[in-house]
Amino acid sequence: MAEFGYTVLILAFVASLFSIASSAAGARQKRTDLINAGRNSLLAVFILVTLAEVILLIGLVTHDFSIKYVAEYTSRALPVPYLISGLWAGNAGSLLFWAWLLSLCAAVFVLRKSSTTREIMPHASAVVMFVQMFFLIMLIFAMNPFATLPTPPADGRGLNPLLENPAMVIHPPLLLAGYVVFTIPFALAVAALMSRKLGDEWLNRARGWAVLAWLLLGIGNIIGAWWAYVELGWGGYWAWDPVENAGLMPWLVGTAFLHSITIQKRRGMFKRWSMMLIILSFTLTIFGTFLTRSNLLQSVHTFGENTLVPFFLALLLISFFGSLALLTYREKELQGKESTESFISKEGAFLLNNLFLLLSTLVIFIGTLFPAIAEALTGTQVEVGKSFFNMANLPIFMAIIVLAGVCVITSWHQLILKDFKRSVIIPAIVTLIIIIALLISGRREWSSVVSFAISGFVITATLYQWLKELLARRRAAADNPKSGTSLGFMWLNKNRYGAYLVHISIVLIAIGVIGSSVYSVEKEAVLSPGESISLNQYRVTYDKLNLAGSESRMIITADMSIYDGYKLIAKLTPQKFIDANFEQPVTEVAIRSTPVEDIYIALDNWDSTRKASFRVLVNPLVMWIWIGGGVFFIGGLICFWPQRTRLEEPQAGKTKRSPQETRPPGKPE
Amino acid sequence: MKKKKFIIGGIIILIGVILLAYIGFQAGATYYYEVGELLGKADTLYDKTVKVGGEVAPGVEQELGKPTHFTIIDITDGTTTLPVVYNGSLPYTFQVGRHVIVEGQYTQSGVFEAKSIMTKCPSKYEPAQ
Repeated sequence: MAEFGYTVLILAFVASLFSIASSAAGARQKRTDLINAGRNSLLAVFILVTLAEVILLIGLVTHDFSIKYVAEYTSRALPVPYLISGLWAGNAGSLLFWAWLLSLCAAVFVLRKSSTTREIMPHASAVVMFVQMFFLIMLIFAMNPFATLPTPPADGRGLNPLLENPAMVIHPPLLLAGYVVFTIPFALAVAALMSRKLGDEWLNRARGWAVLAWLLLGIGNIIGAWWAYVELGWGGYWAWDPVENAGLMPWLVGTAFLHSITIQKRRGMFKRWSMMLIILSFTLTIFGTFLTRSNLLQSVHTFGENTLVPFFLALLLISFFGSLALLTYREKELQGKESTESFISKEGAFLLNNLFLLLSTLVIFIGTLFPAIAEALTGTQVEVGKSFFNMANLPIFMAIIVLAGVCVITSWHQLILKDFKRSVIIPAIVTLIIIIALLISGRREWSSVVSFAISGFVITATLYQWLKELLARRRAAADNPKSGTSLGFMWLNKNRYGAYLVHISIVLIAIGVIGSSVYSVEKEAVLSPGESISLNQYRVTYDKLNLAGSESRMIITADMSIYDGYKLIAKLTPQKFIDANFEQPVTEVAIRSTPVEDIYIALDNWDSTRKASFRVLVNPLVMWIWIGGGVFFIGGLICFWPQRTRLEEPQAGKTKRSPQETRPPGKPE
Repeated sequence: MKKKKFIIGGIIILIGVILLAYIGFQAGATYYYEVGELLGKADTLYDKTVKVGGEVAPGVEQELGKPTHFTIIDITDGTTTLPVVYNGSLPYTFQVGRHVIVEGQYTQSGVFEAKSIMTKCPSKYEPAQ
């Protein structure tokens, strides 16, 4: 079976080579037969890689321990969902999973008929297959998931118990999918550059894919944060770990790209800029997976081997510098038709937003790579801590959020003061109320007061604008009985209202982050059974310790009672799992969540007298991060949903409109 | 003319961020030393937060609720030692022979006051060999 799997990969590699050659030649010579051959071999790659993936899956589920990978990451006792998650649990498996996702995207991409991008399809599919080829090369020559063991063990090592959490089944695939999907808009961009079809065709098609990638990456990161919060036991959800950063950077640049192409479609501006952004997004996805799979940096996530470094470096250099060179070569043909008239406009806000997103990415990039560079240049080992990232990013993120609110109330071309004044009054009043309320309640930390004020401002401004638009439409619809419902109207303007929802979700997340970062209270305590500690208004009592389980897996549970005054409000049971096969014990944190705050207890250590050490935290507002995540997902999904009809622009009051305004948001074909 | 506004604005923002990053860096960057290196640089490092790595030597005084006193041995030469005192709760994997990284400050008394201890364990994804 395993040898067959390996052979299938080799066949897929050959097919991908053939596909690149045919598509490229077909594009050059404009020969349909070659283009079709390229397309068919791409589909063959998909079928073959799927077959390889299925073979590995069968091996995992049937406990075929002759396959080294299966023996390393699964065991007979492992429940089926975790057996399946074995597909991405280890380096080789997740590399194959990436290759499979890529072939799936490629297949869907070429199978969708589109008249506007027909001419650039062969170029685009050649680019996708080029990336695919690289991953297949790595699998075949450096990281074979089908390597066999000469004597299969009776039972496998098992999955690291740290990973036995439902999040293991969703977080890696979502994140990997987010990364992979960025390949398609990148390929379209490069194809447009190669073929000189530099109108909006590539963009309309790329947009849908880019939103999908951005959505998957965003929600993948949020689930990762949630998982870290409930699993790792230090009370936080984001450690600015290199691999976490690797997943954040392409998302930030992706956000910039989505904003930039909105301007491009409306005003025909920022064409080169948009190209640059999608090239950068894709490069960062490859860079991200390169970081995860190399020994370059220390992280809880890295697979920590170096065999893949040369391959990834080659792919990075070729794709990044190749596309940059192409972009420079075609620069003249990408000149936009219009230029920014005034900085104080929607365009200006979008441009600033892009700037800040890129600055944040740069800061994170430098902070992440600094230890590696410092060690390479000077030999000293230095670690860049969380405070660097937090301090540098806080003002940038706050500025981005302010812009999110501002852009909703500014106009295209140039700010119309009358409209602006009308739109800003109510949000400003609300903001003032919030500041006063916070100050009265005793909050003096100016950074959080300002941040909460900004959050209030943006949410109010967005909701107020939303309401104004709906009301204006109601008034217009009153004269025309055929105009449909408000919901229908919003559904026809998915981009706009999806975007409003996403902006609101980001602010909700920000509120959760500010609350839990600034106002979190933590205490470490060593308690004997019966003793308690108090935190804020709560008293946490350690009732007793239970030891259970077997030699191979010990489960230690502490029973805790939480009192608010004299009322018992919760019983929490933090645990530790000790698995004989894995050195590091697994912490199961106990959390009591309300929208106001989380009470978070982790069991650290204990001794034979049942004295135990605990870490207890009260984290305000954390739930809003997860609520924001949910809203983000819904908003992003709405943005992604294909738009089928030409539609009218929503009007809010008597805003002046330019003749070029009513262009449809475009179909993601 | 319009272009200038953008460029100036962009530069101001860039400078602001660089300044902030620099400040954050000073606060956030921690150097790592082996035991021997730390002792060699002791004069310059008093009361600066640093990380030191070493192997836990036999003779650990540990009791839940009391500060733990132990010694770490330099792994590069196997002989240089450093006494450490730690007030928090020890990680479960802490034991004699384990390679640990302590973060804290080297005091004038010659004892390293650790604020946190990390045990270096093999990569989370690769099973212990």
